[in-house]
Amino acid sequence: MATLKEKRTCGQRCEDFGRFVWNSDTGAMFGRTPEKWVYISLYYVAFYVIMTGLFCLAIWTLMYTLDPYTPDYQDRLTSPGVMVWPPTYIEEDVILSYNLSDKTSQRKMSNCLSNFLKPYNDTSQQSNHNCTRGEYFKQEKFEAPHHTKYSCRFTQSMLGRCSGLDDPTFGYNGTTPCVIIKMNRIINFLPNNGTGMAPHLNCTILSGHENIDMMEYFPTNGTFDLSYFPYYGKLAQPTYVNPLVAVKFHLVKEREAKIQCRVVAHNIAYQDSYEPYQGKVVFLLKALK
Amino acid sequence: MSSLCLQDSYDMFEMNGEVDVKMKKKKKIKKKDRLEGMKKEMDIVSVSKSLTLSPLLPLKSPQGLTSSKAAEVLERDGPNELLPPKGTPEYVKFARQLAGGLQCLMWVAAVICFIAFGIEFSRGTLGCFDDLYLAITLITVVVVTGCFGYYQEFKSTNIIASFKNLVPQQALVIRDGQKNQINAMDLVVGDLVEIKGGDRVPADIRIIFAQGCKVDNSSLTGESEPQSKTPECTHENPLETKNIAFFSTTCLEGVATGTVINTGDRTIIGRIASLASGVGNEKTPIAIEIEHFVDIIAGLAIFFGFTFFVVAMFIGYAFLEAMIFFMAIVVAYVPEGLLATVTVCLSLTAKRLARKNCVVKNLEAVETLGSTSVICSDKTGTLTQNRMTVAHLWFDNVIHAADTTEDQSGQSFDQSSETWRSLARVAGLCNRAIFKPNQESLPIPRRIVVGDASETALLKFTELAIGNMMEYRERFKKVVEVPFNSTNKFQLSVHELEDPMDLRYLLVMKGAPERILERCSTILIKGQEMPLDEQWREAFQTAYMDLGSLGERVLGFCHIYLNENEFPRGYKFDSDEMNFTTSGLCFAGLISMIDPPRATVPDAVMKCRHHSLPHCDHPITARAIAANVGIITEGSETVEDIATRKRIPVEQVNRRDARACVISGGQLKDMSSEELDEALRSHPEMVFARTSPQQKLIIVESCQRLGSIVAVTGDGVNDSPALKKADIGIAMGIAGSDAAKNAADMILLDDNFASIVTGVEQGRLIFDNLKKSIAYTLTKNIPELTPYLIYITVSVPLPLGCITILMIELATDIFPSVSLAYEKAESDIMHLKPRNPRKDRLVNESLAAYSYFQIGAIQSFAGFTDYFTAMAQEGWYPLLCVGLRSHWEDVHLQDLQDSYGQEWEWTSRLYQQYTCYTVFFISIEICQIADVLIRKTRRLSIFQQGFFRNKVLVSAIVFQLLLGNLLCYCPGMPNIFNFMPIRGQWWFVPIPYGILIFVYDEIRKLGVRRHPGSK
Repeated sequence: MATLKEKRTCGQRCEDFGRFVWNSDTGAMFGRTPEKWVYISLYYVAFYVIMTGLFCLAIWTLMYTLDPYTPDYQDRLTSPGVMVWPPTYIEEDVILSYNLSDKTSQRKMSNCLSNFLKPYNDTSQQSNHNCTRGEYFKQEKFEAPHHTKYSCRFTQSMLGRCSGLDDPTFGYNGTTPCVIIKMNRIINFLPNNGTGMAPHLNCTILSGHENIDMMEYFPTNGTFDLSYFPYYGKLAQPTYVNPLVAVKFHLVKEREAKIQCRVVAHNIAYQDSYEPYQGKVVFLLKALK
Repeated sequence: MSSLCLQDSYDMFEMNGEVDVKMKKKKKIKKKDRLEGMKKEMDIVSVSKSLTLSPLLPLKSPQGLTSSKAAEVLERDGPNELLPPKGTPEYVKFARQLAGGLQCLMWVAAVICFIAFGIEFSRGTLGCFDDLYLAITLITVVVVTGCFGYYQEFKSTNIIASFKNLVPQQALVIRDGQKNQINAMDLVVGDLVEIKGGDRVPADIRIIFAQGCKVDNSSLTGESEPQSKTPECTHENPLETKNIAFFSTTCLEGVATGTVINTGDRTIIGRIASLASGVGNEKTPIAIEIEHFVDIIAGLAIFFGFTFFVVAMFIGYAFLEAMIFFMAIVVAYVPEGLLATVTVCLSLTAKRLARKNCVVKNLEAVETLGSTSVICSDKTGTLTQNRMTVAHLWFDNVIHAADTTEDQSGQSFDQSSETWRSLARVAGLCNRAIFKPNQESLPIPRRIVVGDASETALLKFTELAIGNMMEYRERFKKVVEVPFNSTNKFQLSVHELEDPMDLRYLLVMKGAPERILERCSTILIKGQEMPLDEQWREAFQTAYMDLGSLGERVLGFCHIYLNENEFPRGYKFDSDEMNFTTSGLCFAGLISMIDPPRATVPDAVMKCRHHSLPHCDHPITARAIAANVGIITEGSETVEDIATRKRIPVEQVNRRDARACVISGGQLKDMSSEELDEALRSHPEMVFARTSPQQKLIIVESCQRLGSIVAVTGDGVNDSPALKKADIGIAMGIAGSDAAKNAADMILLDDNFASIVTGVEQGRLIFDNLKKSIAYTLTKNIPELTPYLIYITVSVPLPLGCITILMIELATDIFPSVSLAYEKAESDIMHLKPRNPRKDRLVNESLAAYSYFQIGAIQSFAGFTDYFTAMAQEGWYPLLCVGLRSHWEDVHLQDLQDSYGQEWEWTSRLYQQYTCYTVFFISIEICQIADVLIRKTRRLSIFQQGFFRNKVLVSAIVFQLLLGNLLCYCPGMPNIFNFMPIRGQWWFVPIPYGILIFVYDEIRKLGVRRHPGSK
């Protein structure tokens, strides 16, 4: 016991460590002879090669079992998320603020929207199918070329005065800014469970009622047309675009309001406090002077 | 000393003659000179210095001190009580519990968590409360285990409390010429006190008047033999001299008056007490092992943490992020549950031992026993029954063995001889001991007797052999009695005969055999009186020597029928004048007595054949007892034995030839510590005789210097310093004094030496099982760590969260790791050599390497397989995951596309991440079930050990699975502990890996069994 506890000087410790690193008596390095080190390294190399092999085999088997068109489970995607564009955050909150007297801040917003809408321009959408409005566009078979399915056309122009075609500033040069609401796509998700009712956007003013004179929805009524549902996945519908709804706010007085935009459908949840972007989005709209 | 003449007291009496009792002053000077030479021996002896220096004036004045003088001295010396040693303040003790190696690491982690929380909170990041929870959990773990440890320590540190109880309440003191009953606390040096039978001696007192006073010094010296106290100084050593009675000892009979020479902490017992409290507690081997282990873990954790901190900084993470990685790695690497596991394992064993009558005060001591390589055992009371018993008789020229077993289950001897009847009659009649009344229901050996040890032994012996002795003595009415005294060295009594017609008187006598023989002219052989010629004398000598060499105390017995004419009825016998025949008697026989070894001891010694060193009272006795119980094995010889065998002088014997060695306290005093070390090294079997408390301490220290783990057993106050110094002190529960019990780490409730063997067995088992537990606990550190490494380097979404790690460490894995403590031994562990504390570490390189880089690696692969499965099946292909981290964790990104083009908002991704945590958790759990199964054995195949024999382990696995299910499927878990209800099939993904672990380890064990000793 006493021997275990005896205080050794630093020199002794260093010496011991030195002997551990290289023991001239036995020719051992770090406690083993080089020969043994080679053996033990070989053993570990073999062990890890085999283990990695097994792991790769397991992953390969996993990939083999997966369906390339639809995921096995969508446990986390029972209800789509909703987001507002331009998605400008300050800390945790979405705050769309621009300065009426500052062109750059206005341009930042409008550029963001026009970039966002690039896939929706008429030329891009030319190839997409012109679907029958008001009903689900269900496709059992791969009828489109290259063994794909058709995607419905959604053009910028459908957003009317918020399309950016007539007004490239999207209203950000004045007090009528446009925001675009996008609902996330989920494979085989049918809004309202296939009852044939189209989901629509409903924006409510949480605070600053007096500052908003009027809201305009594009397309009319803020409807997400049923023909964009269901979504069949990236591989089946490579050119699919999400349907959008644009809202034009007419700001008055202090020009500041907190707004919640919610996609209304039976099967779209929006009340889970832990998931703030599920089925709705809350944002602060602010036009500074 | 007993009232009878004994061999070992003989020398002492001879010395008495030298000392001139009347010349007190001269004696004092002489003593002082001698003292100077003695001072070096030990502190305790220095008490005799104060003996001479202290004012002995009251000797001349029977008036005692005046009250004012007493008050003055009291003012100067303080009260007569043992002061508690300055203890560490309670809060320091508690703080110490919170500042161990592992705890420090966890504190650091908690602080980093707080810092991270603070920074993230100020930024308003979502999810920053995780860090806060983590910090709180870490602190809770540290504090709870700290409280547990503190509570354990608190229970076992109240050493001084019992010393306090040693102070008697009242003392009879003479002050101002008047007898007063005062509180013993108020006694001062110089006070004149009176003690009588039954009192506790209130302070160290020097006897100035005594009448038949005997004290029991057993609390001090461990010797249960009553010591008579007289005013003469008989020995230079205060512990041996007859004129000093010690504080805390008990006066058995008689009365005495004496002067207080020492009070309070300056008394002998006070010195021993302070010696005991001054001796630091040795760190237990298991504590050293755990420290060693913590060093390794802490080193590795910090190494890994720092490496990845640097790597993370290099890859381009922000400083804060890198700090969080560092913290996460530390959390992943530190086995938070280990402290709890070790504590619980040890308490379980302690409980198991308690059922076998071993109470373990200090938990870690359990393991210490297992690694014990030297047992120092005190003879009296531990190895022996601590009661004199008749062992042999010599009559009719034959030595008969008596039954010495505790329960009288042994063989008896032939009792048909006429001589035996005479001998028994002498033994029964010439005896002043009596049974205390109302004990008829008790078995004879357990009845309480008033009288000294030898007479008690004889009384019990004759009671067993003849029957009701009290009534027997009634029949032989006692006429006169001459008690034992040191000049005669015999005791005699004269009795009327049983037969009323026979008017002769019977004189019975017992005493030192040679003195008895001197007075005899005939000897009783087969009931016939034979003249005591040379031939018989020689036979007597041989028998006497034989019995003496067995270390037994021999008494001679003789009798004579007094002549009817010379001593008619009514003859005035005078015990002082001795006006009757005291020579020409008829020798009846010898009876020898010994404190016999406990029945269980020889077997126990056989079982733990280490190297045992009993401290005994007398060299020959010690030698005999040691040989009897097997400490000195047959065939082992001492130097003296070799000398006798070869018929050469002791000096010429090569000391190394002797396996056994007997060293007396006197010899020990003259030895340097190097010599003692040398002696211990060269003799595997050692016996020390007549050692002082200080010397016992020296012996223990010497053994420890030689690298042994020392266990000390003892019962007296005199043993307490050694008990405390030892790596493990074992006190006797029945015979042991409170001081010994307090100093010890373990108490044998039934005083049974055999229990120590159980203890050793359990200690070794717990070491083995702790090793298994630790291996089990360590393994999962790797699958907890690798997710971070992969997360940092490959930037996949985080596979395992900190809280999940804590749940594994502190919830699901605790029970299985504890259950390994219930594992049965794989082989007969008592046949193995004790663990070498320098080589057989609890955690060694190969154990760590095997756990970490093989089993742990397999578990990591299992975790990642399940992780990628869960991710892929939910839409995230493995290749997409690589490099996904920055997008995945972007709180502002609400439409991240998976492999199928679906868009995920941040919270969905977070819940998916929790799903990954859960599947990784499940993988670790499944693999840990395989791990706990393989850890059941280290060499044997599990099929040899049996799957279900350890019921606790089976229930632990069931519990683990149930808890896993609860965590997964209890509502609300996602937002509390970040567990998600996962799909059933993900439980099965890691099972092939579990089977792989099992098979792999079975192959390893097969290899170990086939090629023992390699790798």
